[in-house]
Amino acid sequence: MDILNQLIGGFAVALQPINLFWAFVGCALGTAVGVLPGIGPALTIALLMPVTAQINPASAFIMFAGILYGALYGGSTTSILLNTPGESGSVMTALEGNRMARSGRGAAALATAAIGSFVAGTIGTLALTFLAPAIAELAFVFGPEDYFALMVLSFTSVAVVMGRSLLRGFTALFFGLALGTIGIDTQTGQTRMVFGMLELLDGVSFTVVLVSLFAIGETLYVASRHASAPPAINPLSGGYWMTRQDWARSWKPWLRGSVIGFPIGALPAGGTEIPTFLSYALERRLTPHPEEFGQGAIEGVAGPEAANNAAAAGILVPLLTLGLPSTATAAVLLAAFQNYGLQPGPLLFATNPDLLWGLIASLYIGNLILLVLNLPLVGIWVRLLLIPRQYIYGGIVVFALVGVWGLSTSWIDLALMCGLGLIGYVARVYDFPVAPALIGLILGPQAEIQLRRALAVSQGDWSVLVGTPISASLLAIAALVLTVPPLLAWRRRRAEEAEAQPASAG
Amino acid sequence: MLKRLTMAGALVLGLGAVTAFADPAKVMIPANPGGGWDGAGRHTMAAFAQSKIFTDGASFTNKGGAAGTIGLAEFVRTAKGDDNALLVTGVIMVGGVITNKTPVSLADTTPLLRLTNEYNAIAVPANSPIKTPQDFIAALKADPSALSVGGGSAGGADHVMLALLAKHAGAPVAKINFVSFSGGEILAALGGGKIKAAISGASEFRQFAESGRIRIIAVSGPSRVDGINAPTLKESGIPVEIGNWRGFVGPPGMSEGAKKLWLERFAKLHETPAWKETLKTQGWEDAYLPGDKFNAFLKEEEANWTSALKEVGILK
Amino acid sequence: MTGKRQAEQRDRRSKPWWMGLALAIMGALWLNGARSISSTTNYIGLGPAAIVLAVGLGLTVLGILLILQALRGEFAAVADEAEAPPSHPAFLLALAGVAVPLLTMRWLGFPLTAMLAFALVTHAFGSRRTGLDLVIGFALGSAAWLGFSRLGISLGGFLPLIG
Repeated sequence: MDILNQLIGGFAVALQPINLFWAFVGCALGTAVGVLPGIGPALTIALLMPVTAQINPASAFIMFAGILYGALYGGSTTSILLNTPGESGSVMTALEGNRMARSGRGAAALATAAIGSFVAGTIGTLALTFLAPAIAELAFVFGPEDYFALMVLSFTSVAVVMGRSLLRGFTALFFGLALGTIGIDTQTGQTRMVFGMLELLDGVSFTVVLVSLFAIGETLYVASRHASAPPAINPLSGGYWMTRQDWARSWKPWLRGSVIGFPIGALPAGGTEIPTFLSYALERRLTPHPEEFGQGAIEGVAGPEAANNAAAAGILVPLLTLGLPSTATAAVLLAAFQNYGLQPGPLLFATNPDLLWGLIASLYIGNLILLVLNLPLVGIWVRLLLIPRQYIYGGIVVFALVGVWGLSTSWIDLALMCGLGLIGYVARVYDFPVAPALIGLILGPQAEIQLRRALAVSQGDWSVLVGTPISASLLAIAALVLTVPPLLAWRRRRAEEAEAQPASAG
Repeated sequence: MLKRLTMAGALVLGLGAVTAFADPAKVMIPANPGGGWDGAGRHTMAAFAQSKIFTDGASFTNKGGAAGTIGLAEFVRTAKGDDNALLVTGVIMVGGVITNKTPVSLADTTPLLRLTNEYNAIAVPANSPIKTPQDFIAALKADPSALSVGGGSAGGADHVMLALLAKHAGAPVAKINFVSFSGGEILAALGGGKIKAAISGASEFRQFAESGRIRIIAVSGPSRVDGINAPTLKESGIPVEIGNWRGFVGPPGMSEGAKKLWLERFAKLHETPAWKETLKTQGWEDAYLPGDKFNAFLKEEEANWTSALKEVGILK
Repeated sequence: MTGKRQAEQRDRRSKPWWMGLALAIMGALWLNGARSISSTTNYIGLGPAAIVLAVGLGLTVLGILLILQALRGEFAAVADEAEAPPSHPAFLLALAGVAVPLLTMRWLGFPLTAMLAFALVTHAFGSRRTGLDLVIGFALGSAAWLGFSRLGISLGGFLPLIG
């Protein structure tokens, strides 16, 4: 086993005390930036780039790997406890996670997120170790029509499973799609739907929409009902830890999330969001406790968190094997490699095995450090909820202001925050899911690009959209997702009516 | 507690920040990760750090699409008066602003300098029947819309080059099938045979060509490029020469002092061995042209591109 | 009597036709916007207006469906709505907290704006210790301002009025 030998060599590098120290620093920093809104791993690594001049490459990459994974751990904390996801990858975690926290089960939610991240991170790293070259080939198999089909599947599955009715889900989705069309068209450069405001040329910022719909909408809702709402629940009423049942319900979502997350993360246009959407939709379909979804189902936290972390390992695949960065974080890592005069790609495994295997080994170690670092913190984080409610929400609004104003100190962003916050409030009152809106905003423009590319290549022949086995089957699944539940509901209703008919007649 | 949380986070980062750097440059890259502008921004800042001319580090924002005009719009809006903000620019943006009639233009920025030049290359999937520039022209002539050619944004150098090639082939420019990409995705699409050919900077193709995924069939410069085994278009009897210069501009309202400071830094960088090494490994040509000369050059380019785009029929 | 009023209230609340109307108006805006996007001939396949058109159509259809559902009384608010009627003063106070940056951010700067927003929101939640709230808000705003400036994330001037 050549790979095993090299991996053992990698562990020898990663386990040197100095490298362990850097791994620890990276994990701690990563967790901290994950908690803060508007600061992601890409920015942090970019800011730390100058240290590459001082420390050796292995140590630097070990630290960067810690930041990459650490940010994902940190991101789940605010989503679960405060219902304010800081990044697109943790939107789905907030849905069930925050409901769990509100019913006193925050500790279990944080624990399943942390352990799920660990499990998925490890599986993702294992896959990276042994399957990277094979998975990398996916990049060449997926064409524009396949990406488009993947995104359509994300749209439909999320719009269908979320919220009380199809109408609500699709309303939210189309609202997000509409926001996504604002700004300069990426392909032809035409200005679209900017209403004469130059500030909108570069589009509506995702952070603004995320913060407004979630944090501001939530604050307005709770404020308007705090007097009549039941008093705050003891955050630990559900216990300090995951119960046996929690474990039993978590392990499958962890594994499924990993399986979805890794390959999609490895696609050049895959990203870390789609897997979390798909994982949530899948868990909601498969759960034996469908009534708990929307009320705090642990599967809805375990799956997306696992998918998120596995996808993070996945984005390293095209980077390390092809030299192809697919996310901002990967681009920063690529630049760091190049700072050392290294070119990631097929040759790197041959020319710098020590560094590369050291990096891969450090991913395993970083994951473990994060678990050890974060599990004891769960109890402390949960106590956040003991702060008087007015201060929590006052703090959330200040937090949100940092995120929105810090983007570009733009007045329009503040106005958007206010308006979208109101829409978030209305959505909360009338039970519209907000996640499909965010998904429409993120994936809408990408889906449009892929659709137009596919049609350009085919010279306007729409049959190209079902032209490959991948795209045809993904679209077929999407169609099933859309049609089967209403059909089943209709049949059930008819059966009930048929039963009721003779009874009332007689 | 929330406060403590914020403070703790800010403190951890703050400490790291104070010790490692003081005032990082904020570099806007108006393209997705993995493309030519991305490399231009990141390698230049890396060379600054390596040569110890500017060691405060840099943070990068990738905002791709529409020939960089989306990034330009964001830069003009958000970096106004920020003396540490830089925007990577180039000929593609000049063309994009004209073609798209973008409401913001490079005239809204503080031009700093032109730094590099690079020639385009035409590449095809490894198993493509197109082997020579002549094959390419023949395919273009036979059915321009059946030949899907990937490249950067509309109105950019890649697009214009394809239009010029079509003109040479005697094919109608309105029928060409130009598929726009931003960043490294074009390499995967080409390597996977999703598009029949691609036009982009020679350096972007190099690694994939070396690993045998794609084949470079021609370069667009006046002479062959070291390490790339492909003829120039000129020597193949196709009179098309397209350069792709890249440089930096500052934000609107950048102070005179800051402009001077950055120009001095670039002047120093231009002399260092680290920069010469970067040029060599990236396959870029030195095209250093600072300050007022760059301003004049920009005006000239705008005029040139307006007439060129009209001539090939992209601009109406 | 109270029973009747409650029923009336519920009735009023269960027919939120205005949401559908707003959505349909948005759809109309998008449909109208699609017309003014100039199409280029440089691209085969879909032009830049197609998706805007599709989204506009979708919004309009969904808006009409929402109106229909609302008028038929099939569209109700969340379950706990009936038990927990909204407090309008609290809602408006919180909204003021979110809206106040629109007025003050440019000339009072981030820390003071954060202070005002924090105090307004805490008041919406029934806090009456104005002084303490202002102090906490200011401390929070300043800490965030300092920390983020260190990171190179600009939150504007500390006190733009003074310079």
